[in-house]
Amino acid sequence: MSVNLKGALSGIVVCDFSWVGAGPIATNILGQCGAEIIKIESKKRPDILRKGGPFKDGIGEGLERSGYFANRNPNKKCIALNMSNPEAREVAVRLIKKSDIIINNFRVGQMEKWNLGWEHVKEINPRIIYVTMSLQGVTGPHKSYMGFGVNLNALCGLTARAAFPGKRPYGTGTNYTDHVMVPGHTLFGLLAALIMREKTGRGQTVEVSQLDSAIAMKPSDAMAYAANGDILGPLGYGDPDAAPHGLYTTLGYRKWIAIAVFAESEWQAFKQALGHPAWTADPRFATLEGRKANEEELNRLIEAYTQTRYAEDLMKKLTHFGVSAGVVNDARGAIENEHLRQRRFWAYLDHPEVGSTLYNRQPVVFSKTPAQMESAAPLLGQHTRGVLNEMLGYSETEIDKMIEQDILI
Amino acid sequence: MDANSLAGVRVLDFTGTLGPYAAKLYANLGADVIHLEPISQDPMRDIGPFYKNEPGKDRSLQFLYYNTGKRGLALDLSRKSGQDLFVRLCATADILFESFAPGYLESLGLSYDRLSGLNPKLVQTSITHFGHFGPYRDLPGSDLVNAALGGWLFLAGVDNDKPVRSCDNQSYRMAEAYAAVGSAIALFFAQRTGIGQFVDVSCMESVGMALENAAQYWDLEGTNRRGRGTEAGSATVHPCKDGFIAIVAIMGKNKGMWEYFAQWMKEENIAEWEVFEEDRWIEPAYRKSKEGYETFCRIFERFTMQHSKKTLYEKGQAHRVALTPVSNGQDLLENPQLIYRKFWQTLHHENLGGDVVYPGAPYEFGELEWRLGQPAPRFGQHTADIMLEIGYDQNQIETLSKEGIIHVG
Repeated sequence: MSVNLKGALSGIVVCDFSWVGAGPIATNILGQCGAEIIKIESKKRPDILRKGGPFKDGIGEGLERSGYFANRNPNKKCIALNMSNPEAREVAVRLIKKSDIIINNFRVGQMEKWNLGWEHVKEINPRIIYVTMSLQGVTGPHKSYMGFGVNLNALCGLTARAAFPGKRPYGTGTNYTDHVMVPGHTLFGLLAALIMREKTGRGQTVEVSQLDSAIAMKPSDAMAYAANGDILGPLGYGDPDAAPHGLYTTLGYRKWIAIAVFAESEWQAFKQALGHPAWTADPRFATLEGRKANEEELNRLIEAYTQTRYAEDLMKKLTHFGVSAGVVNDARGAIENEHLRQRRFWAYLDHPEVGSTLYNRQPVVFSKTPAQMESAAPLLGQHTRGVLNEMLGYSETEIDKMIEQDILI
Repeated sequence: MDANSLAGVRVLDFTGTLGPYAAKLYANLGADVIHLEPISQDPMRDIGPFYKNEPGKDRSLQFLYYNTGKRGLALDLSRKSGQDLFVRLCATADILFESFAPGYLESLGLSYDRLSGLNPKLVQTSITHFGHFGPYRDLPGSDLVNAALGGWLFLAGVDNDKPVRSCDNQSYRMAEAYAAVGSAIALFFAQRTGIGQFVDVSCMESVGMALENAAQYWDLEGTNRRGRGTEAGSATVHPCKDGFIAIVAIMGKNKGMWEYFAQWMKEENIAEWEVFEEDRWIEPAYRKSKEGYETFCRIFERFTMQHSKKTLYEKGQAHRVALTPVSNGQDLLENPQLIYRKFWQTLHHENLGGDVVYPGAPYEFGELEWRLGQPAPRFGQHTADIMLEIGYDQNQIETLSKEGIIHVG
């Protein structure tokens, strides 16, 4: 059987009102898998990430130099549509008629103000999947509470354990929930709805709660408290089932090696890789229980060994003997990493304003419908004319008029 | 197929400590998910914490969580009759999740080519540390090492500090979330075209998806960023009477946001509240300075130390300040929003003589229904039922059981 389709989601159209974090990351993945993403912005209300660093050469002028924005928005088309003008709704309606999915991550009520809530949209297109992403759900005493990524990380319980004992908790250092938990569940939910539509012919709503979806990927702390009344403590870089398990200083600026030894066979391999220095024969270190009980000293002895060596050399040696070990890569290390490069995880795409710049592919490798990394992030309004004319059937004259009327800006 | 469930989609889940959340997402929407266990049992059964802190094969809280709603079948894949059973199951399946070391299934003659020869629409999704190609393919992975190599762990710290680790093996969870999504995309394609495919998802690439803007900071500005957390009032964590809180009182130069915070401090009449009315706080450079950060902590923490997480959360939100508690397991279970929304789910486990509390639905749909499903299977609990369904007879089952090729629980 021959496959003429370009990507697994070829033919699927997404009307994308989402901005900033989790929404654009979700539609980025759909776009790489062949869906056509029409991103709606306006110079009156640009995606605020366009103003977030880093910027090409550190110059933050205008709306087209942000790498933060760019990496979440490749392979998308962008139309400038000023929704604060009531005439703009008709353009959105025409797009909704052509779309399979409509997604937004506004505060609850914004789409309704434009008469584009589910009740209206399902009349326009009963086959559409309508996706919303509230912070904590649309009902309940905290439904209107506000928060950013860092707040959600803390609220869902991720931050508390990402800490060294006795110090203030740190967390991931990023807006982690926006990157994985929220887009992951959003995508799975909307795909399940899309799969159902193949059977029923009907669209439906998908309401993601960012808090609930985050907790779903970190069940231990709440379950342990409910079952046993225990508060699970800070992890540092350790693991209750492994020793040694940690990060050890090596030669170089901010260079560490991660080492994780779980099974007895791995401990034997670790000793062998180090060449059996005398301390490894200390009977206190003979069992996992012993190593856990004397973990601080064990870590000190290992670090005395690693700190005069290069992380890359240590990784080579330890993995050769079957020990799980890896360099703690900074961004440059990950970009230049041989494994990720051979897997074509990184892509350089040519952008009209900032030239060849770095993007990452979504992390799923399909054998028959490979992800497409074709075009850099769109300029604001780059595809307004093309989409309105070719896809939505507006004439050039009508488009000119709507530009004059501040509708398409 | 019911409009409210994925019943009719059959998923095989041959994963262990790495992989089980992917199939759980399907189980919770009503798909028929079969958890395949090796005859040596799923190693996740041995991971704590345990119910009532008593170790036991059916008492691992994580095993119970990740496998609710799945049926269980135990087989020995290293033996010919076990392989035959596996092949017959694959012939009936839409998706096979597995997390074997790359090359292991091929070495048993169970390559994707063979399986898809019998079932061309089969989607086989392999969840591994490093993926099925590239120089790291055969290296021993672990959560800490995957997170380190992908560039994600480096972000979880500031300055020269060693990074801290997040809970619940997030490099595994990330890969599982993307594996569920990738499989749903491939399933959608298979249902439209009859063509299945092999889907390769690695933890190392999945963590690369969560670098926020760090790769672009290197590409565009030539800097290796680390985590946030020392810019006064902008994504900082502070101690309070009974723990910690996280606050985003300002982003960039957003004066309006800061004014809500300053107004709140004034109303509380905290010592030195006037300091927060000064314009210098609007400048990121001042907030990032040692003086700015230390001044903020000195004044704000004198106030926070008087109050509980819960009080600060409510007061802050009432003043339109994005402040949230750094929740632990107890805080999550007592969170009024989660209680109101009936997020926590309770299942009675007869063999444990008690109830287990589980995290609930990450999303709500118009028609599809999220359900927790039956308790996770005991070892081999559904082996016989499932074999009867696919055409084995009672005698064959007894023989295979006696030979130790299957376990009938």
